[in-house]
Amino acid sequence: MLPMQETKAESPVFAGIDVGSLTAKCVLISKNGMHAYAVMDTGAKPDKAGETVFVQALDKASAEKSNVRYSVGTGYGRISLSFVDRVVTELTCHARGAHFLDPAVRTVIDIGGQDSKVIRVNPDGSMSDFIMNDKCAAGTGRFLQIMARALETELENLGEFSLTSSQPSRINSICTVFAESEVVSLLASGEKMENIAAGLHRSVAKRVGNMAKRLGLQKKIVFVGGVAKNIGVRNALEDYLEIRFASLDQDPQIIGALGAAVLARERYLSA
Amino acid sequence: MDLKEDKTISEVRTNLALDIEMAKDEGKKVVGLMCSYFPVEMVLAADAIPVGLCGTTEEPISAAEEVLPADQCPMVKATYGRAVGNTCPLFPLADCIIGETTCDGRKKMYELLAREKPMHVMDLPQKPEEKEAQEHWTAEVRKLKLFIEEQLDTVITEENLKRAIRQVNTTRALLTEIHRCRKHHPVPIMGLDLVGLTTASGYCVDRNDYTKRLTVLLEELKRRIREKEFACSPDRPRILWTGLGNSLGCDKVLKLVEDCGGVVVCQEGCGGITRLEDPVDEAKDPIQALAERYLRVTCSCMTPNTQRFKDIDRLITQYQIDGVIDLTWQFCHTFNIESYRVGELVKEKHGLPFLHIVTDFSQSDVGQLRVRIEGFLEQITLGRRDESYGCTQAWEGL
Repeated sequence: MLPMQETKAESPVFAGIDVGSLTAKCVLISKNGMHAYAVMDTGAKPDKAGETVFVQALDKASAEKSNVRYSVGTGYGRISLSFVDRVVTELTCHARGAHFLDPAVRTVIDIGGQDSKVIRVNPDGSMSDFIMNDKCAAGTGRFLQIMARALETELENLGEFSLTSSQPSRINSICTVFAESEVVSLLASGEKMENIAAGLHRSVAKRVGNMAKRLGLQKKIVFVGGVAKNIGVRNALEDYLEIRFASLDQDPQIIGALGAAVLARERYLSA
Repeated sequence: MDLKEDKTISEVRTNLALDIEMAKDEGKKVVGLMCSYFPVEMVLAADAIPVGLCGTTEEPISAAEEVLPADQCPMVKATYGRAVGNTCPLFPLADCIIGETTCDGRKKMYELLAREKPMHVMDLPQKPEEKEAQEHWTAEVRKLKLFIEEQLDTVITEENLKRAIRQVNTTRALLTEIHRCRKHHPVPIMGLDLVGLTTASGYCVDRNDYTKRLTVLLEELKRRIREKEFACSPDRPRILWTGLGNSLGCDKVLKLVEDCGGVVVCQEGCGGITRLEDPVDEAKDPIQALAERYLRVTCSCMTPNTQRFKDIDRLITQYQIDGVIDLTWQFCHTFNIESYRVGELVKEKHGLPFLHIVTDFSQSDVGQLRVRIEGFLEQITLGRRDESYGCTQAWEGL
């Protein structure tokens, strides 16, 4: 975990802004490892979300825009970020962010709002290979969001809730829309909610796990993205892949923005 | 000379159609072809006009989907669509068409296509490295000659065949020299422009026109190299293109790669350099020579397709390649499965970034393609960091 510091007016700061399909994140880093971050919902306007989350992070760090020497934008909405100095894909940023926290990281599994990806990382933190699913909501945060609604529970509770399951249900549908129907049927037939939740987590784990197997896994392996906050999915992935994730000791949702900030710092210093 | 092809594929085809109509009025015949396996010299020796009828655009596909399954290679659908959809000015002008038993999709589509025009399908053996394969293919080339002679009511003499072979070899040699200009670092022409210009040049009735256009292009490229007028900065990642998607019309991905900051300096496979560097043997019996040369085409419908891997291996070194992109059309099973071995060669033997793209002719996935292409290019550009560079040292200066 990077130590938090207060910024002095003249201290140089570097910003990484990750505007995803569901949430926008901003991370600020500096020489002393100061770091503040902010997370908010993206909403319908990615460019506004980028600016807003940037300002929110600056406020938290008691810093001004003038402190920021270089900024890198990433994520689904990166192209609309007119105020950043450079744009880099979330693929590279996630590799760099995870590697920054632990240079022994060689594989990153990221499950976000609308896509999932597996990224292989070189010893120097650059990306060596990747595989993505962004054509289908199955195996993404959106899938879980819809299922939480079907189970009439909060998305944040889904993970903890599933831990009490003794017998995960088998979910047959891959398609999010049809899986939702299946969940409703299971509830109607008396299936326990925690079992259904555990079954859904297994579905996500299988889908993403198969992608990871295709790419090949090398330790250390980490799990990032908003969905990494779900302990049920985390456990299901570890079981499916027969691995243990290394801990990054940081909010998994901000790894992309952190990587962008690291790249911003590096770019500025090498110029 | 401006190194850009201004006309769209539609315009190029329409212009050619007008020229062909005039030639037909003067008694010329037209033979439609589908594929690189077809010995085009046979048509030239019959004093007829060869026209490529392979589908490379989105437009004809909806007509095709009334008959063909939607879950099918876009090229197969577009080819059929050109024949039945009234979108193609060239198809109606063909007197007969020739196909080959390459992949499953084409093979079965040809059964339906044969309803539209007199059609002959050559039986292409799938294991070209076997001796018997060559014997069989040579027999098929002889059958082809008989079909064309019958359809066009003509005789193809050995003399005419030899002359046609020399003519096409000249074009091959010119195109090879053009492609080889891109060995230079930086390149004198962007990949998209080269593909556009060379594709468009080939759409002509008079082969002498073709030769002239290529000669002018070659001179211009040589001049640009001499006078150091390059197409882009030397920092641009140099990409080897393999698989499909190499001609004017279906260049969606190639265009995206160059828009995102890469430059395609070499293409392997259909539309690329590899069989251009491989002329028909002028010393041998012409039928035998044609049969031998055309069996060497490296489509993935062949197994195990060893030559393709040798070509990729060699080109990576010859063209100073930074990364390889392998394009597969959706539902093309052979290129899709073969991509695994291509990836092994590129990643494990050469240690280079490799991107496998699967797509169709539509514009609906451009955003998804863009992030993959940008990520791939970042593997090259951001992976070039100086290992010795340390953040901490540079901090002192701040």
